[in-house]
Amino acid sequence: MTKTTTRWALLAGAALIAVAAGVYVGGARVDSNPSAQANAALAGLALPDAAGKEQRLDQWRGKVLVVNFWATWCAPCREEMPEFIKAQTEYGPKGLQFVGIAVDQPDKVEQFAKEIGLNYPALVGGFGAMELSKTLGNNLMALPFTIVLDRNGGIVHTQLGNLKPDKLQSLVKQLL
Amino acid sequence: MAFTATSTGSPRKPPPRSALWVLAALFAAGANADPRLLPPEQAFHFSARALDDKTLEARFEVTDGYYLYREKLKFALDPGMAELAVPLPAGKVKEDPFFGKVETYRGDVVVRLPLPTPAAGKSVVLVADSQGCADAGVCYPLTRQKVTVAVPEPGTGPGPVVEAVPRKKYWFN
Repeated sequence: MTKTTTRWALLAGAALIAVAAGVYVGGARVDSNPSAQANAALAGLALPDAAGKEQRLDQWRGKVLVVNFWATWCAPCREEMPEFIKAQTEYGPKGLQFVGIAVDQPDKVEQFAKEIGLNYPALVGGFGAMELSKTLGNNLMALPFTIVLDRNGGIVHTQLGNLKPDKLQSLVKQLL
Repeated sequence: MAFTATSTGSPRKPPPRSALWVLAALFAAGANADPRLLPPEQAFHFSARALDDKTLEARFEVTDGYYLYREKLKFALDPGMAELAVPLPAGKVKEDPFFGKVETYRGDVVVRLPLPTPAAGKSVVLVADSQGCADAGVCYPLTRQKVTVAVPEPGTGPGPVVEAVPRKKYWFN
């Protein structure tokens, strides 16, 4: 290798190590490797729905789960939900299941769910839910934050900000 | 960048394509989130000072690409946390399909807060609650920031500005 090639290879190598170590390059990163503990916490999750009834996440074991943290006060969150509703209708029979976790007041969640014609469960979480999302990589506890799990409960994708339709499509095709 | 000849006498070569592919892959790996999202206390930098013995001045410096909701802005003094209900400046009005008319703030937001009880020569703890979002498409939860402000004696002019957190300079900001 020439001197210049070596220099660039070392630079690229160092950058690769930095990324792998999850180093902050200022601002926030989504950690793409949640711990086994966080994974287990998610698997055992139980939260009330807007009507107050407790719902366990493991009731949907075997489905491809899209767990979406959102709030009615979060405009970007509201904007992506019609797309999720469409996907739930289309792919629900094939085993796709959306579950919303609203960091919000139950009555607001209920009202919005009615208005938008929500066809998947809307659970209500508080600070604990946001803390859980932090352990899953949402370092700034911002919304929307979405996790996609395969049929075995393994986390295959985390998304801070909107989950774009084409990304959703490719995940659906890959996992269903 | 100084242009130096190598020992072989040939000019500096551009980086080999393979290294560029590695760097491109690294950027793609981080691409499922905007890696440049600021923490809320930087995006919505909060500071305050006493204007005189009776009045505080609170300031939010909202970074470009971020905005605050006027309706969520609240101030209180610790302890007690009785809300300091004050007129807030007008924000930019947006028509939201769900909430109707929504007012947001960008840039600097300055609010005058009359002190409810005399505090000349003392320190007060000002608590500011705010909630905002980034144009990149994420929203932060309600964020609480605090500053301890020294209130001057009457007639001695404004006190120094106190920041909730030091302003950080990011390579991308």
